[in-house]
Amino acid sequence: MSTMNSGGMSAGGVSSRGGRSWPSTTSVSSSGKRIQKEMADLNMDPPSDCSAGPKGDNLYHWVATIIGPPGTPYQGGMFFLDITFPSDYPFKPPKVVFKTRIYHCNVDSTGTVSLDILKDGWSPALTISKVLLAVRSIFTTPDPYNPVVPVISRLYLADRAKHDELAAEWTLRFAR
Amino acid sequence: MLTNKPNPEKSPTKEPEASENGEKIESMFSPGFRSVAAMAGWDEEAILVASLVVEDTPDRDFKQKKRSDLPFKTPPSNSRRKRRAQKRSPVIVAMPVLDLGEDETTRKENEKNTNTDEEKKAETEKKMIESKTNKDEKKKAESEKKKMMIESKTNMDEEKKTGEKELTASSSTLPCMDRLREELSCAICLEICFEPSTTACGHSFCKKCLRSAAEKCGKRCPKCRQLISNGRSCTVNTVLWNTIQLLFPQEIEARKAAAKASNSRETDHKSPPPPRGISHYNVRNRSIQALNSPEDERLQSTRRVGNTYHEGRNHIVGPPGIASRGDEVNVRRRRRRVPGQDEDAALALRLQREEFMEVFRGSDDQYNGSVSLARENLRAMASRAMNIRIRGRPS
Repeated sequence: MSTMNSGGMSAGGVSSRGGRSWPSTTSVSSSGKRIQKEMADLNMDPPSDCSAGPKGDNLYHWVATIIGPPGTPYQGGMFFLDITFPSDYPFKPPKVVFKTRIYHCNVDSTGTVSLDILKDGWSPALTISKVLLAVRSIFTTPDPYNPVVPVISRLYLADRAKHDELAAEWTLRFAR
Repeated sequence: MLTNKPNPEKSPTKEPEASENGEKIESMFSPGFRSVAAMAGWDEEAILVASLVVEDTPDRDFKQKKRSDLPFKTPPSNSRRKRRAQKRSPVIVAMPVLDLGEDETTRKENEKNTNTDEEKKAETEKKMIESKTNKDEKKKAESEKKKMMIESKTNMDEEKKTGEKELTASSSTLPCMDRLREELSCAICLEICFEPSTTACGHSFCKKCLRSAAEKCGKRCPKCRQLISNGRSCTVNTVLWNTIQLLFPQEIEARKAAAKASNSRETDHKSPPPPRGISHYNVRNRSIQALNSPEDERLQSTRRVGNTYHEGRNHIVGPPGIASRGDEVNVRRRRRRVPGQDEDAALALRLQREEFMEVFRGSDDQYNGSVSLARENLRAMASRAMNIRIRGRPS
């Protein structure tokens, strides 16, 4: 009885302050602050061959590009990625998805990247700039022992030349 | 000073005095100045001796004399002087000058060096003036007054200059500040560490950030993934925190204010909304009520018991005693409208204790009441009064 009453009162109080609900506002603002900081830092000195920024008004939805590093079959390609920040970022990792199709044993057909630091290996001390560098590093050094596309990893291990040829072909077809 | 000079009549010109400080570093003399000094009868030895005297005994008179010379010697515009002094600043730095007054005089000397031409022109004038001052004691006194005024002026100038120096110094540390900011910022919120807590592995984060990282991401250091223990994550690295507060007072103040605001918001949210006014007040009141609410009924009941008891006692015995406690508590509660948290806790404790005591006594009372109910006559009443007296005392 009394708890119900107090709950109703509290709801009334919140609405009287402009309909904001405080806990969500505070948590969002802390993650938002951090994302804004990261954005500023990225603008100040962006990592090589990478760029990232909010898609539109939503601070939690970014788009990023990575240029295929020279010396790899992905050379010359421009790969787009979607980055979605959780509301409790940086304590939970951002979701990074390839929007450009890529022939890679660590990127599945939906574009999901299998990177340790984007799952269990996430640390709140990591930033988007570091994530982008990590993603870029899988272009140069794929991890065929933890594949999401076993066919590609098998080919990579068995016939590297063929793999590279296919990857370059995909890059030419989808990433330009 | 003057006695050191070989030729008192000629020497009291300005240039020799200028040279005294000047010769500390021979290279500072312009050839023109040297020739003037020579003309005034100053050989190198005399100059050296004079300089030694100056160095050993920062004589007040000596300084003052120089200052008294100042208005005549130096060009009237202050700005020129300053500019010149700035130009000369490297030289000044090179000299091991500790005394500000000496510094000032050397600066003047430098000016003189640059102004040899002007000085030559003014030389005759000065000679006359100085000789006069030497001869006339009264005039000296007057000039002393002047000197004092000038001194205060020059002091102000010095202050200004030092202020400028400080400014430039702080600006020169700015790049360092940027690095410090980077170094002292928390890797989790990317802002300057607020109440930094240092892990066993030596990495520091905001206490809050580290705690929520431990909660949400597991008990590993966000930076190096080493295991971190629970207890440590709650302690603030005091030295680091103080350092940060000293280095970035504005940021920290802003964050403190923000933290306060968010805290009050949270408490607002947790507690039912205050009708109006300051949130703290309401929160506190609420906490009091929360503390008391379970006891309230019991308290009232005990109070009731106490009151009846009190009445009974009034009939029988006069002196006030334990029974009035309920009222005391009442008064206390009325007084405590806006107590602090500690007071809240203390009050709660006291109330509990008193309540316990009163309930304890109350039960006796009730027991007595039932006894009294069982008996109807005055004898019974008297016996009850006896009982009360007996039981009331030991407590």
